[in-house]
Amino acid sequence: MKNMTAEELLTAIQSQDPDVRTEAWLSAGMVGAAAIGGLAKLVINGNLETGRAAKRALWKIVRTAGAPDGAKEKRPVLNQLVKLLDAAQPPSLRREVIWMLSEISSEKADIDAVAELLSHPDLREDARCALERIPGDRSLAALKEGFARAPQDFKPNIAHSLRARGVNMEAAKK
Amino acid sequence: MSGKISRRSFLKNTGATLAGATLGFPHLIPAGVLGAAGRKGANDRITIAHIGVGGRGRALWRELANLRNKGEAVSVVVCDVDERSLRRVTQEKVAEGAEAYRDYRHVLDRKDIDAVVIATPDHWHAAQFVHAAEAGKHIYCEKPACCTIEEGKAMIAAVRKTGIISQIGSQGRSQPEAYLMHRYLANGVIGKVKHVECFHYPSPVDTSQTPDSEPPAELNWDMWLGPLRWRPYNARYCPGTFRWMMESGGGQIRDRGAHVMSCALWWMNADRTGPVTIEATGTPPNQGVWDAAVLMQVTYTFRNPDWVMTWTQKPQEQLPRAEERTPEELNDEITRITRPGYGAIYHGEQGSCMHWGGDGGTWAERKVRQWKPEAASVDVYRSPGHFEDWFQGIRTGKKTIMNIEAGAAVGFLCVLGNLSYMLGRKLQWDPVKQEIVGDEHARRLMGRPQRHPYYV
Repeated sequence: MKNMTAEELLTAIQSQDPDVRTEAWLSAGMVGAAAIGGLAKLVINGNLETGRAAKRALWKIVRTAGAPDGAKEKRPVLNQLVKLLDAAQPPSLRREVIWMLSEISSEKADIDAVAELLSHPDLREDARCALERIPGDRSLAALKEGFARAPQDFKPNIAHSLRARGVNMEAAKK
Repeated sequence: MSGKISRRSFLKNTGATLAGATLGFPHLIPAGVLGAAGRKGANDRITIAHIGVGGRGRALWRELANLRNKGEAVSVVVCDVDERSLRRVTQEKVAEGAEAYRDYRHVLDRKDIDAVVIATPDHWHAAQFVHAAEAGKHIYCEKPACCTIEEGKAMIAAVRKTGIISQIGSQGRSQPEAYLMHRYLANGVIGKVKHVECFHYPSPVDTSQTPDSEPPAELNWDMWLGPLRWRPYNARYCPGTFRWMMESGGGQIRDRGAHVMSCALWWMNADRTGPVTIEATGTPPNQGVWDAAVLMQVTYTFRNPDWVMTWTQKPQEQLPRAEERTPEELNDEITRITRPGYGAIYHGEQGSCMHWGGDGGTWAERKVRQWKPEAASVDVYRSPGHFEDWFQGIRTGKKTIMNIEAGAAVGFLCVLGNLSYMLGRKLQWDPVKQEIVGDEHARRLMGRPQRHPYYV
């Protein structure tokens, strides 16, 4: 791993040399939030191997920010990730970001952004899984609200998540 | 009436439909139907269904032939989500006469099935294992038992609740020379073992530059993914190559670690314990869709007693040389070492010894094979064979050599090694509570929410 700026990272991710790309994404954790927007563009628009390396770089950033000593970097990373949930982004990218958020988010703003996707036809199952994984009252409340609003064909999915979070669905039905 | 409502009755009551409604939904037999009263007698034939009949599944079908020929078992069902696999086993006379199914849940509905052999990709093991246990079926499940810590715990809970007999397919424990290694170590010939050094050749790199595509018509891609989050099909995910994906296979540490480290826990009498720290480093593939570590070094630290296990994937040229066997040392059962690329060295206070393989081929080094026990020597359990040991369990209720508690313990080692590698940091593990401590992010990764309706 080596220290890089965001620009250097994005350039290296687009290298034709697989070893250069790999060293770049392995170093992405040290670059952090500043590279997220640029990497997301490469995930969407880059060629096959560039896209793969960019996606791995994003995950590296998430997993570095999630470390017990990564608290300072976590908020800026989460802010950038939530921006990528925007409806203008393709579902494939948003799906990936939902799962990234499932690993490290815990605050209301992030959870609410994921919860909104419970009504998205292509992303609701990923959003449901993410809320199941994120601990705390806010994600639980989001699941309960989502269950109340969900169409019949999606209620069983959220019901499972609620059970996984310890909710007695028999009592909830009454 | 209990205040609890099952997932299934909830679905029924809400009138919910499945995404794949034509698949139906399992109507599971109440737990515990195969308690002691219903146990098969010594002369009863065990009726078996094979779930997953790709490469490994076909091999297991063949490995059961001996017991079928003796009249101890009959295999009546093959099930797979890939028509090509079904065709191959039913038309090429591997499983002639067996009925073909595409959905394991319908297999579990059959009351005439006593037991299932699960040889699906790793990410399916836990869900199918738990559902089969709930349906009262005895289970032989390929290794590694689980892909997450929570899956392993759910599998253990299902067995405790239903009383079914399970065997995880880390069959190295049942090999003749595994017995010799175990006996040698148990008698302290090399003193207390302080370090078990597991070695393996690297995981492969996908250099094919294969993009995502439509799945082949013969493959039910949604069902192949099962509990995994949805993704487009890629021809490099399957068959077989799921092993090199972190989510579905996990690389050599999960594929063969579940063999070599299984032997280690058995011989070190450590099935009921676990490490207190796990620290991994590794080299990822530099391209391709596979993401499991190519090279890898993991250190597991155990306490009370204190010992260390290491798992190392290293270049072929750095692996220990396999012992050459003389013609006199070979017979029908024991052949030359055909899998020299993995094994383990046991470092004791008074010497060391090693084995190669650790799965269906397990070879102990010469001094271990030549060691003669004395009258005062201790003996260890000698498995009659991995399937045979499972059958004994079904008939007598005895714990199998690779029961689910042992299988999950080994699975946890594989999972934790990969987690530490993936997160790039050392993990602390509470072996009593079986949970990661002091790292909220890593704790979340002890489980993985599963896609509807493929829950454990």
